[in-house]
Amino acid sequence: MRGMIPELLLRPDVFFSNRMKESESLKFPSIIVIIGAIIAAAGAYVISGIYAEMFAQVPEMGTMSSFFGIFGAVSAFFMFIIVWWLIFSGVFFLISMAFSGNGTFKRTLEFTGYGLIPVLIGSVISVIISLYYLPMIEVPILTGISDPAVLQKVMSQVMSDPAFREFTQVSSIISVIFLAWSANLWIFGMKHARSVTLKHAAITVLVPVVIYIIYVLYMAVAGASVLGGA
Amino acid sequence: MRPGLALLLFTAGIALLFVSFPGMAVEPDIAAASQITVTSVTMDPAVYFEGDTGIITIEITNNGPESVAIRRATMYDKDISVISSSYDTTTTVGAGNKMQFTFTVKADLPSGIYYPTFSLDFRDAGYLRYPIQLRVDNDPLEVSILNKPDTFGPGRKEQIDISIGNPRDNPVTGTIVHFKGEDLDLVPSSSFVGVLNPDQAQKVSFNVTPQKPTTLDIVVDYKNGVNPHSTKIALPVNFSESKTQAEPTLSNIVVEYQDGHYVLTGDVFNAGLEVANSVVLSAGEGGQPVNPYREYVVGSLQPDDFSSFEITFMAENTSVVDVVVDYRDVDGNPFVRTTPVTIPPKTTAKEKQPGIALPIIAVIAISAAVIGGAVWYSWKKR
Repeated sequence: MRGMIPELLLRPDVFFSNRMKESESLKFPSIIVIIGAIIAAAGAYVISGIYAEMFAQVPEMGTMSSFFGIFGAVSAFFMFIIVWWLIFSGVFFLISMAFSGNGTFKRTLEFTGYGLIPVLIGSVISVIISLYYLPMIEVPILTGISDPAVLQKVMSQVMSDPAFREFTQVSSIISVIFLAWSANLWIFGMKHARSVTLKHAAITVLVPVVIYIIYVLYMAVAGASVLGGA
Repeated sequence: MRPGLALLLFTAGIALLFVSFPGMAVEPDIAAASQITVTSVTMDPAVYFEGDTGIITIEITNNGPESVAIRRATMYDKDISVISSSYDTTTTVGAGNKMQFTFTVKADLPSGIYYPTFSLDFRDAGYLRYPIQLRVDNDPLEVSILNKPDTFGPGRKEQIDISIGNPRDNPVTGTIVHFKGEDLDLVPSSSFVGVLNPDQAQKVSFNVTPQKPTTLDIVVDYKNGVNPHSTKIALPVNFSESKTQAEPTLSNIVVEYQDGHYVLTGDVFNAGLEVANSVVLSAGEGGQPVNPYREYVVGSLQPDDFSSFEITFMAENTSVVDVVVDYRDVDGNPFVRTTPVTIPPKTTAKEKQPGIALPIIAVIAISAAVIGGAVWYSWKKR
C-alpha cells in the first residue's frame, strides 16, 4: 500500500493499468473511503460545535444540544460514503455507458475509491483550517426557539459571520483543488475500469465533477454550508 | 221703705266700699303678675352633648295693662349647672313689653331629657315657675365610606368617597373634614362642609396617594353651639395587587449578543383584566440601556392583547438582567413590573483580522502548486 500511493498520485495511468491485471477488490478502496468518512465526521463534529454552543442555553433543547456533534458526525460519515463513493461511482458508470464502456461496477467502485485519496488530503487540511477559523466565529446564543423568525435570523447571522464565510470559501477552494486532483486520478481510473478512450474518460469524470465544483463554489458564495468532507 | 229700693242702696253701698278700699276686693299687683307669661324659650344648642355648655334665652311678655316689678330672675336645677348669675336687680316690665333673660348652663349629664326651672320673683306678688326642656344626646356625626379601592399600591392615586351624616335632632355648624396619615399624599387635605342639618348627609371626595402601608385617619370637626366636637375613623391603607389590574407578562424572550451589546426581543402580553397604558420596556438592574433601543414604547395594551418589543443593553459580570415594564392604569397611576431574564455569556470569539491569513494563502498556493505538478507529471509520465 505504501508504494502504491505515490504511484497512484503521480502515475495514475500506470497504477490503474497494474490494478487491472489483478482481480477486483474493494479492500483498499473501502479503507480509503472509511478513513475519508472518519475525517469528514471529525470535521462535521468540530463545525457542529457552533450550533451546540448556539442552542446550549435553550431550555427546550435540554441536553439535545450536546447531540449536535454526534448527529453531525454520523451524518457526515455516511454522506461521505454515499456521495463521494457510491454516487460518483454510479454517475461515472452511467456516463461511461454512453461511450460503450464495459467493465463491472465493482471495478468502477474500486477505482473511484482509490481516486478519493486527494479528497482525503483536502479534508484533513480543511479540518485543520477549521480549527483556525472556528474560534473567531461569533456565535449568537439563543435562549428560546419558539420564534422561527428569530431562529432564522440567528442562523443567518452565523452564516454571514465574516470568519465563517471566509472559512467556507477557503474550505471550498481547497475542496475544489483537491477534487480536481481526484478527478485527474478518476480519468485514468475510468479509462481502465470502463475500457474507454482517455477523451471519453475525461468527459465521464469532468461532467459530474464540474457540476459539483460549480455547486460548491455557488454555495460558498451564497454562504451555505457544503456537504460533509472537503 | 220698699224692698227694691233697699237692695239698690245696699248694692251701691257695697260698690262704694270697693271703690274707696280697692285692696279689699282683688289685689292689683297680683293681678298684674298674672299677666306675665313666658312667650319664648331659645336654646343654643338645641340639643346638648354631655359636657356641653349652652345658652338658654327666655323671653317674657307683660300682657297686662300695668307695669310689673320683677325683683329676681333665676334658673336652677339639681342636675344642670347654671354658670351665669341670677338677675337680682329689681326691674319693671312695662305693660305690653317683653323682656329676655339669658342663662349659661353646662350639661354634665348623660343622655336624657331634663327640666331646669326658670323662676321669676315678682316684687309685689309671688313667683313664676317655668320648667324648660333641655335634651342631652351623645350621638356624634356619622362618617361612612362610600367608595374606596379594593387595594392600594405605592405611588398609586386612588379616590375615596365618604359621607358625613347628622343623626342628631339639631344642626351642627363649622363642619370640617380633615384627612391625615403618615406617608400619604392627600388632596385636598381637608374639606369644609359647614352646617349639617338634622338627618342631612354630605358627600366628600378626596384622593390619596400612599407611599407605604399606613393608616388613613378621617377626622370630622364640628361645633354643637359653641362646643367643639370631633368624630374620627381610621382606614387601613394596605398594599396588594388589584384583582383586575393589568399584568404585562413577558414571553418568547430571545437574547443575543451582537455588535458589542445584547439584543433582547420578545412579546409583552397583557394578562390582566384592565388596560395597560403607556407601556414602556427597558433594561433594569444588571444592564445599561444603549442605543438603538434604550427603551421600547409599546403604548396601550388592551386585556389579552400583546406586542413585540426589542431593547438593547450592555451587561458586565452578570448573567441576569431585569427587564422593567412601566405602565399606567386608566387613572394614570404608575406601575412597575420587573422580570429577571437570564442572558447568555458573550461569545469568546477571537478578533477576526480582515482578509485571508497568509498561512492559509500559502497552504492553498502550495496545494495548488503540488497538485498542478502532480497532474502535469501524471499526464507526462503515463
